[in-house]
Amino acid sequence: MNVAAATAAMPAETGRGRRALQLLLRYGVLIGVGLLMLYPLLWMVGASFKPNREIFDTIGFWPHSPTLEGYREGWRTGTEHTFGTYLANTFKIIVPKVIVTVISSVLVAYGFARFRIPGRRILFALLIATVLLPKSVLLIPQYLMFRELGWLDTFLPLYVPAAFATEGFFVFMIVQFMRGCPVEMEEAAVIDGCNSLQTLVYVVVPVILPAIISVALFQFMWSMNDFLQPLIYLSSVEKYPVSLALKLAIDVTEATSWNQVLAMSTIAVLPSIVLFYAAQKYFVEGITVGSVKG
Amino acid sequence: MTRGGLALEGLCKRFGSVEILRDVQLEVAPGDLIVVVGPSGCGKSTLLRLVAGLETPSAGRIRIGGRDVTAVPPAERGIAMVFQSYALYPHMTVAQNMGFGLKMQGRPKAEIAERVARAAQILQLGEYLDRKPRALSGGQRQRVAIGRAIVRDPEIFLFDEPLSNLDAALRGQMRVEIARLHAQLGATMLYVTHDQVEAMTLASTIVILNAGRVEQVGAPMELYRRPANRFVAGFLGAPRMNFVPAHVVSQSPGALLIGLEGATHGSPLRLVRATEAAQVGMPVTLGMRPEHLRLADAAASLLHGSVTLVERLGSETLVYVKPEGAEQITVKLDGGSAVARGDLVGLQVDAAHCHLFGPDGSAIGAPSDATGQSAAAGANVRVAG
Amino acid sequence: MYENRVAGVAYVLPFIFGLAAFTLFPFVASLLLSFSDYQLQDPIDAAAFVGAENYSAMFADGTFRKSLGVTFLYVFVTVPLKLAFALFIAWVLNFRLRGIGFFRTAYYLPSILGGSVAIAVVWRYVFAGDGLVNQAFELFGAEPVNWLGEPGYAMFSIVLLRLWQFGSAMVIFLAGLQAIPEDLYEAARLDGARGPRIFVSITLPLLTPIIFFNFIMQVVQAFQEFNGPYVITGGGPLKATYLLPLMIYEETFKYFNVGYASALSWLLFVIVALFTAIAFWTSRYWVFYAQERDEEKRGEEK
Repeated sequence: MNVAAATAAMPAETGRGRRALQLLLRYGVLIGVGLLMLYPLLWMVGASFKPNREIFDTIGFWPHSPTLEGYREGWRTGTEHTFGTYLANTFKIIVPKVIVTVISSVLVAYGFARFRIPGRRILFALLIATVLLPKSVLLIPQYLMFRELGWLDTFLPLYVPAAFATEGFFVFMIVQFMRGCPVEMEEAAVIDGCNSLQTLVYVVVPVILPAIISVALFQFMWSMNDFLQPLIYLSSVEKYPVSLALKLAIDVTEATSWNQVLAMSTIAVLPSIVLFYAAQKYFVEGITVGSVKG
Repeated sequence: MTRGGLALEGLCKRFGSVEILRDVQLEVAPGDLIVVVGPSGCGKSTLLRLVAGLETPSAGRIRIGGRDVTAVPPAERGIAMVFQSYALYPHMTVAQNMGFGLKMQGRPKAEIAERVARAAQILQLGEYLDRKPRALSGGQRQRVAIGRAIVRDPEIFLFDEPLSNLDAALRGQMRVEIARLHAQLGATMLYVTHDQVEAMTLASTIVILNAGRVEQVGAPMELYRRPANRFVAGFLGAPRMNFVPAHVVSQSPGALLIGLEGATHGSPLRLVRATEAAQVGMPVTLGMRPEHLRLADAAASLLHGSVTLVERLGSETLVYVKPEGAEQITVKLDGGSAVARGDLVGLQVDAAHCHLFGPDGSAIGAPSDATGQSAAAGANVRVAG
Repeated sequence: MYENRVAGVAYVLPFIFGLAAFTLFPFVASLLLSFSDYQLQDPIDAAAFVGAENYSAMFADGTFRKSLGVTFLYVFVTVPLKLAFALFIAWVLNFRLRGIGFFRTAYYLPSILGGSVAIAVVWRYVFAGDGLVNQAFELFGAEPVNWLGEPGYAMFSIVLLRLWQFGSAMVIFLAGLQAIPEDLYEAARLDGARGPRIFVSITLPLLTPIIFFNFIMQVVQAFQEFNGPYVITGGGPLKATYLLPLMIYEETFKYFNVGYASALSWLLFVIVALFTAIAFWTSRYWVFYAQERDEEKRGEEK
């Protein structure tokens, strides 16, 4: 809304006063809420550089006697593996998962957006339904299925389903994006001699790249945060991803060395924060394309 | 089987139960610039897409250069298409856009570069070759789209309303450019538009399409002067032809006497037509182009009514007359006509310029003077009242 | 665009397979399991049909009643609060202020990170007995609160964690607000409408599709919350934060009662399905679409 236009109709003096007050109020709300929002994060980062005792003594986030002890000790972890092992495990899960998610989602979305498929409406409705379906209703049979396949305590159950476009949200997102793209461009490619797969690779993918990046980023974040799936599928500590390792850390280091746990938490969210700041426009686009334009 | 011609044989297209094209027959000679024109939804774009191979016909054959291409993929048909939205690849440079088709054919780089350069020279695009489409103006993008077609060296160019995204000034300029290109390349072109001005100015042959059917095919002035039916007569020409309901009063050797419905005075019009074309009493429609009408003494005129609106366009004046009990009539007069709103005027027409349409809409004969402009412009104008 | 059905089916084939293998099959299997006495440690063919026993057992199960109660409490408190807060902040942000980008990012970040164990860990420490909140309380001379040890406060802590993640809903609202044409506001102002009136008569109705979308997503997500309570409170104290997904997990992997857990998961599914169905059912009365869906129109052209 245009503040200037909204206040223009008022008498000049009260208008200016009210406008300043309104501005002040709004910034006050925004900054206050913003501080409350970010303070837990600031505190986490600050506390990770504090000696343990200081964490309990002060509520300020800035460490008075900064130390890397939390990182040094935390990295060693209470287990026989360093935190590096868990980070590596996380990436061993996430990298293949993101890749197969992107590939399968793009292929399936292309099929839905550009082809006459028998039963297309029903299939697409089912796709939306999978977004709304509570995953816990699938959890137990999926677990039994992977147990019968002998996949327990491997990374396979964590990313193989993603190769079959099981995240309906991503497919939906790309379909929405493709619908917004002119078909004529793809027809030009067909006339230029592309088959449908070449059209997808040479023309469609470059054009919908922002959507693809969004999908990759969201899948990265969600997988980073994923806890329940690794919890039920992985039993050997040496295969734990970061999320499980952190849970393990608070269970064994309870009440003693918060700075270690917070240091590792900081490391755990660091990739997400960096990615988020580097590519926030893709997050905003990705999350809004399915709702506002849908 | 000359190279470059196009033949459509009994082409049909249905989407479900909707018939988009019905039994289209068309023969295009090599080197022709054929314009398919019709109102929106008439199936003209579908026709073009069928020729391009982007849609499959429900029935019928398509031949290009004598070769049956009905089942041939688009890239192997020897066609190139210029899209309404240009459809340039946004992530490729101008040169890459133009060379993409050759690249897909696996042509050597040097050949691609050479052919792109040649097309760029024809279209004066040389300095833009390394730019991305978004850094170009609308007219430049249009030229790149045409350049992409030229590079493919097709047997037939297909244009899908290529000028409709441009503003009026640019549209006129590009129209001239396309005409020049046609003359320079001597290629066969199939051009789809809803704009009759483009059709009239560009075409060597016009195809009028309506509701999926070909209404008439012919040279522009031929269609203008001898429309085969009411639709064609009404579609070509701006302002539109005036249609007045009438009936056959009597026949005389080699002529029909036509009386207007509801006309209380004035003598019937005598049109030179073969008498066997119509029976006495048959309802017909009289068609008169605005430029063939002239103002006359109300008493001695064919129709009379009051002037509802006068539009002065400078070189000409459009006068709208509402006769009692009939629909509004448009009259085109020269620029200086002294006529004003509210005037009571009579209208007269030269029978030699009149079109006659039967109850089914098809033309009965043709105006006997279907060769030159009317002499009406110089006629004596008298205003009654 | 393409009429080649075979190619089209080939592209969606991964989805069809995935749908069958990882969604439909487990979905049905879960229903079947819910009528069995299957125990996790047994071979799969040891499952025996027990009729609706698992479902009738729920009514006698005090833990279940408690869990169901706190789940509803959690959903009913978090969803409206989160939506209202998200809408309010989006509305404040939508004025042409400097730094809108900064605030949007700051508010959005928590919902990107909020589901992670790392944040749950931070939350646990923030609300611990000697944690940040109690230190702040002490500073202002207030009595420290046993946040994670008392049922009501424990629930409050995990509710707060969800509210903290209002950013994604806010970003969607903000995009919706920005999609409302300025002309409409101008027109309303010319008609004499003022701030609140404009919000109620113009903004809210045009935003109903977004509210609808956010509502459904939030309900579905809230009913599935697991990480927060599992890491922060472990479902306690006195099962005060023992949300249904937590109970399903423990029944399966702690007590091995797969049959019973499956029945619970189906109940959860039915509840979510009912909520979604009601939302869709009533949407025609309160969701206003400015444009008719142009799906059909597009279909005709091609």
